[in-house]
Amino acid sequence: MDAILDIQHLSKRYGDHVAVDDLSFSVPRGSVFGLLGPNGAGKTTTIRMVMRIIASDSGTVLLDGEPVDDDRRRIIGYLPEERGLYKKMKVLEHLVFLGTIRGLRPGEAKKRASAWLDRFDLNEWATHKVEDLSKGMQQKLQFIGTILHRPQLLILDEPFSGLDPINTRQLKDLMLEMRDEGVTIVLSTHVLPQVDEMCSEICLINRARPILAGSLEKIRADFGGNTWRVRSNLEEADLRALPGVVSVHPLRDELLVELDDGGEPQELLRALVDRSQVESFTRFIPDLENIFIRAVEEDRDHVE
Amino acid sequence: MLNRILAIIRREYLERVRTKAFWISTLLVPFFLGAVMILPAYLAARGGGEFSVAVVDLSGRFFDPIRDEIDRLLAGDDEKLSVTLVRQDPGPDPVATRERLKNEVQNKRFDGVLVIPATMPDEGQPEYVAPNVAAFKLLNVLERSVNSVMVADRLTGAGLDPDQVRELTHRVGLKTLKLGKGGEETRDQGQSFMLAYIFVMIIYMTVLMYGIYVMRGVLEEKSSHVVEVIISTVKPFELMLGKILGIGAVGLTQFLIWSVLMAAVSAPGMVSAMGMGDIGLPTIPVQLLVFFVVYFVLGFLLYGTLYAGVGAAFDTEQEAQNFQGLVTMLLIVPMVLMIQIINQPDGTLAVVLSLFPFFTPMLMFLRLTLVPVPAWQVAASVVLMVAAILACTWIVAKIYRVGILMHGSKPKLKDLVRWVREA
Repeated sequence: MDAILDIQHLSKRYGDHVAVDDLSFSVPRGSVFGLLGPNGAGKTTTIRMVMRIIASDSGTVLLDGEPVDDDRRRIIGYLPEERGLYKKMKVLEHLVFLGTIRGLRPGEAKKRASAWLDRFDLNEWATHKVEDLSKGMQQKLQFIGTILHRPQLLILDEPFSGLDPINTRQLKDLMLEMRDEGVTIVLSTHVLPQVDEMCSEICLINRARPILAGSLEKIRADFGGNTWRVRSNLEEADLRALPGVVSVHPLRDELLVELDDGGEPQELLRALVDRSQVESFTRFIPDLENIFIRAVEEDRDHVE
Repeated sequence: MLNRILAIIRREYLERVRTKAFWISTLLVPFFLGAVMILPAYLAARGGGEFSVAVVDLSGRFFDPIRDEIDRLLAGDDEKLSVTLVRQDPGPDPVATRERLKNEVQNKRFDGVLVIPATMPDEGQPEYVAPNVAAFKLLNVLERSVNSVMVADRLTGAGLDPDQVRELTHRVGLKTLKLGKGGEETRDQGQSFMLAYIFVMIIYMTVLMYGIYVMRGVLEEKSSHVVEVIISTVKPFELMLGKILGIGAVGLTQFLIWSVLMAAVSAPGMVSAMGMGDIGLPTIPVQLLVFFVVYFVLGFLLYGTLYAGVGAAFDTEQEAQNFQGLVTMLLIVPMVLMIQIINQPDGTLAVVLSLFPFFTPMLMFLRLTLVPVPAWQVAASVVLMVAAILACTWIVAKIYRVGILMHGSKPKLKDLVRWVREA
């Protein structure tokens, strides 16, 4: 696998508190990678160590196969969870400043910044002070500042927090567009429905440790197990009586039918067709939220 | 790296130079300073003018001698002061006369009333009643002449010859001359002290003001969270350095504007155009201006670094107050010690204190304005200051690095020490 970011055995403790404990994962080039976990799991600390904002106690961060350093980290565009801009600066000047400290020439930075302001309909605000902008506009500004230098890797810490649905949509579209251009995106979040459709890979962190990592497709299949979504005119109790069925749960207007490990879905379907009018029969693919909650609960049970 | 630091310097500089506050303070300060510097000189010379004083001589015999004495005093004077004494009849009720004359002073017929009691010169005290008792040249002349007339009268009463008395009691003034490095002598009537005082005040105020700007700037970056965005691309040390240099450049810009204004004001044509022809504005040697800039820059770098550390360690100005006060105290101590230094600018205490880096910007500069300071002392003060700046930068950079990401609990001194050790 061609990994743009490879994290190996990263650890960080603050006094007695372990913030990150022996964390390893790699981010495939060109993927949208979800760094997931509940609040306080250690996501932000991990990202800050990748960005060299704080030093790790042990472990390595490889960027493009080599240890990250102060110059190499500039291929990353980083959007911190706590947004911040200089309130008294003018919008366009601020963007040019952010571009310049990331290595762009002022002229080039200005050209790109103007183009982005155009795209986000912020052009009329170019000479206003940042503090005059609404919160949503400031968020967009912050995002433009993050991508102005065309990073190969984008690390976004809770990118959608505080955005309304329209702005969220706009930002998602832009991210997908960038992904299509080959930019790797790391999304750190605990709000899962927002990233479910975007991530191809995930790493789930709970209490400083990774508890689940890999391709989302595979994780879904593993978590889904031998479970099927059935829509028919058969009653729940009748279904439960069929051979090989372990459990049946209603899910909205469907029934979730779990077969035992060796159970043949073909036989179940045949039995269904014999007994009822089948409208649909599909494999159950759990969403990220289900996976997340179950994994975190299992982790807790495991520790207890 | 240089480009990034330059971008930060530029940002800090422009953000401040563009504010109204900067221009208001830049233009107002010289105005006040000018007032402080010019006013005393102006007032001292302002003895000029015509004064008319009503005299109620209850003794009946002092009017003429006093008038003569005044004429004699003013004869050698080139400051265009003329005093006309107008004899008043005391009348049957001297108190009523005094009241009447007071009214006339109010009506501007006289500038003041001089009352000489009948008991003079043995007892009592002459009175001068006037709306403006700050016209000190006039007061000086009045007091001196009344005094010498009374003394002469007493001596004559003791059987001495009036002319001889005058001869013997002839007053000797003290002529003050400032001795320069090259042995040259210049007339000095306190201007050099005024100048020293004002310049040291400017160094103190600007170092304090711009130091606090650095602290506020750091606090602001912290509280607005913008700092995390910046240090994900720029090293914390580069950010700190850029901020200090950018704000220092604002200070230098301010001095530059002040110098230009000052040069414009002290241009010969300008002074006379303002109607202050011969008030004797103190001149500022170029060498002193160079030292001024050098010690401001060194002082600002030293204190700016300390204030940056204070800003990084805390979340709000309230929390930072104690440590800010500590740093500010270092700046205030030399101001308190100024009088000692002025009294003995070459004493051991003065030399030692002026070589202590935290006091150097004020005290070494003060000594330079007062006496010729040996070159080695000046060189040593600069070397010591540079060493102190480097040492402080080394320590503060560590506090800064840890502190700018810290939010929440207010750190104590032992936490700061731990940051320095662990960073």
